Amino acid sequence: MTSQLPAYPGPPRGAPGDVAAWHRLHPLSPVVRSGRHLTGFLVLLLVLIFVNARQAGNDFISDLIVVAIVLVAGVISWAVTRWRVAGGVLLIESGLIRRQSRRFPLSQVQAIDVVQTGLARVLGLAEIRLRMAGADSSGGRLVALRLAEAQGLRQQLLSMTRSAPAAPAAPAAGSLQAAPAADQAAGAAPGPGPASPHAAAASSPAAAARGQPEERMAFRVRSGRLAVALALSITGLIAVVVIAGSVTLVSVVRQPGITAAFLPLIVGAVIGIWRQFNGEYGTTVTLAPDGLRLRSGLVQTTAETIRPGRIQAVRLVEPLVWRAFGWCRLEVDVAGPRQRRENRSEGRRLRPLVPVGTRADAAKMLGELVSAAPAPSEKPPGHARWKAPLQYHFLAWGGDDRYVVAARGRLRRTTTWIPLEKLQSVRWVQGPVQRRLGLASVRLDVAGRRVTASVQDRTVAEADDLLGRLPALARAARTQATLAARSGSARSGSAPSSGTSSSGTSSSGTQAGNRPFRST
Amino acid sequence: MTAADPGARPGTGDEDLRWHRPSPRLLRARRIEVALVTVPFALIGGFVGGAASAAIGLIVGLGLAVLGVLTERFLARRVAAWGYAERDDDLMVRRGVLIRRQSVIPYGRMQYIDVTAGPVERSLSLATVRMHTAAAASDARIPGLERDEAARLRDQLASLGEAQAAGL
Repeated sequence: MTSQLPAYPGPPRGAPGDVAAWHRLHPLSPVVRSGRHLTGFLVLLLVLIFVNARQAGNDFISDLIVVAIVLVAGVISWAVTRWRVAGGVLLIESGLIRRQSRRFPLSQVQAIDVVQTGLARVLGLAEIRLRMAGADSSGGRLVALRLAEAQGLRQQLLSMTRSAPAAPAAPAAGSLQAAPAADQAAGAAPGPGPASPHAAAASSPAAAARGQPEERMAFRVRSGRLAVALALSITGLIAVVVIAGSVTLVSVVRQPGITAAFLPLIVGAVIGIWRQFNGEYGTTVTLAPDGLRLRSGLVQTTAETIRPGRIQAVRLVEPLVWRAFGWCRLEVDVAGPRQRRENRSEGRRLRPLVPVGTRADAAKMLGELVSAAPAPSEKPPGHARWKAPLQYHFLAWGGDDRYVVAARGRLRRTTTWIPLEKLQSVRWVQGPVQRRLGLASVRLDVAGRRVTASVQDRTVAEADDLLGRLPALARAARTQATLAARSGSARSGSAPSSGTSSSGTSSSGTQAGNRPFRST
Repeated sequence: MTAADPGARPGTGDEDLRWHRPSPRLLRARRIEVALVTVPFALIGGFVGGAASAAIGLIVGLGLAVLGVLTERFLARRVAAWGYAERDDDLMVRRGVLIRRQSVIPYGRMQYIDVTAGPVERSLSLATVRMHTAAAASDARIPGLERDEAARLRDQLASLGEAQAAGL
C-alpha cells in the first residue's frame, strides 16, 4: 500500500536545520498514526475478502473501493499537514475540511519527547511530542519524522525553549544564536498572546550546528534486576499468588473451568507488569546542559528531556520486599500530563528516573537533582504512636531554606522532597484523633498529579509554626530562584555543570547551573 | 460547644489578622439544602415502609427526619467554622469541624478563580469563590459569600495574583 503514495515533495533533505520554512511530515506518517487501527483494518479487510470470496457475487471491487478510500484519506491527511517554527512558536496546520492551526509557544514547553511506537520503529520513524503545562493533554505532536530528523529537531526545539525564557532577562544568554536569529525574527510573525516577548529567540541553524551537547551518564537500569523487582512488586506478588492458587485448585479439583473466574485478574496483572517492564526497560538517564535526558522502552522507546527547573518533586519509594534487597525507586514529578493514548495508570505514574536501583544509585541521582538534600531527621513526638502505630517507625521530616522532605508509610516507605520554590499551597489538617493527642499534620502541595509532602503527626505547636513559616520561606526561595535563573541562564548555555557535586555543596549556594530544581 | 465557636486554630503569628466569615445566610442556604434532601427522602421512606405497615412507615419516616435534624445541628458548627483572611502575600482559608483544615495559598500561585452559585445560593444572592492553583490537592473554596463580596474578592484576588504571579 505504500506504492500508491506520492514521492516526498517536502523540503530538500539537505537542509533539515532550516525549521522556519514549512515542512511536511514523512509520507508514511498516516501509517504510523493509524497504528493499531491499521491492524484492525487489515483484519477486517481479510475477513471481508474471505467472506466475499465464498459468496457467488464478485464483490472484490467493493473491497478495492474500501482500500482506496482509506488510502486516499491517508494521503490527504498527510498532504494537508505541515509545520514550521517561527518566532519561537511551533505552528502545526492540519485538516482538509476542518482546517486546524495550532501554535505552541516554545517558551511554555515543559518537555519534548521523541517517541517510537512499534510500527514506527520498523519503519525507522519517530514522533515528537511537546508537553505543555496545561491540565489536558493539549500538547503538540509531530507524527512522524525520520528518526535522525526527529532527534535533530528536538535538539533545535530544546535549544530554543531554553533560550526563549531567558531572552528578556538576559539577552546575552542567546549569544550563540543571536546573530542568525536576528534576521529571522524580523520576518517572523509576532508571537501569540502573553508568551510573545521572546519572539527574538527564534530558530537558528547555529543551534543545530552546535551539535550534541556534552552528556554525562547518571544512571542505567539493569534489566535483570528490573524483571526481578517487578515480579516482587505488589502486582507481581498478586499475579504469582493467584497463578499458584489456581494451579493448586486445578490439581485438586481437576476442573480447569474453575479458574475462569481468576483469568481476568491474572491477565490484568500480567498486562500491568508487562506495561511497566516495557516502559521502564533500559531506562537511561544522562545529564546534559539542557536538562535531564531520559530514555527507556523495550518495544516502544521514549526519549524525553526534562528541562532545568521543571521538576516539582522527587520521591523515593522503598516497598517492603525491595527493602530486603536494598532496592528502591526514585521518581520525579514534572508539571503537565503525559500525552494522549497512554493508559490511565501510566499517565498517573510519576516519571521514574531510577525504576529500581540500589540505595547508592538513588542517592547519587538525588544528589544530581537536589544539591544538599536534607534528610528526614525530625521524628514526631512519641505519643504520635497512638495515632499511627505502624507508620511511626518511618514518620519524619526535615528541611532547610530550600527543600522540605517528608517520609511516611510502613509497607511502602515513601520519602518526598519538595523544593520550596515550587510550593503551591500549604495545608494544616487535624483529624479528631489527632486533636485528642494534640497533633496536627502539614501538607505541602506542588503542581502536578497530587504529589503532596505530608509532614504528619507533629505537635500542634510545631505544625502551627510550620504553617506560619513555610509561606514566607517559599516566597524567599522563589525570589532567590528567579534571581538565580536570571544570572544563571547566561552561564547554563555554555557551561554545563561538570563536577559531580552532590551532597557536599552548601545548601544556600547560588549555583543554578543545570540543577533541574533550580531556575525557571 | 456553642455554634459560633470554630474551635482551636493554628496561630498565624499575626494576632490582629482579620478573619472574614461567610454570610449568615449561608446557614439558611445549607438548611434549605438539607431540607430539600431530607423531606423527600423521609416521605418516600415513610410511604415505602407504610406499604408494609403503618407503624414501620412512621418509624422510617421519622427516623429519616431525625437524621435530617441531626445534620442540621451539625450544620451550624460547620458553617461557623468557615473563615478566610487576606494577608499581604497569601490567602488563608479555614474550615471543618471534625477534620479541621487551614490552607495557605500564595496569591502568586493562583491560576484562576471561579465564582459559582447553585440554585439555593442564588436565591439567597450568595456565591462560592474557588481558587485554583496548579496543584490538584490545594483546595481553597469559600462558600456563602454575599454576591458583592464575592465579586470584590474575585477581583481583588485576580489583581493580586497578577501582580505576584510566579512561573511553575
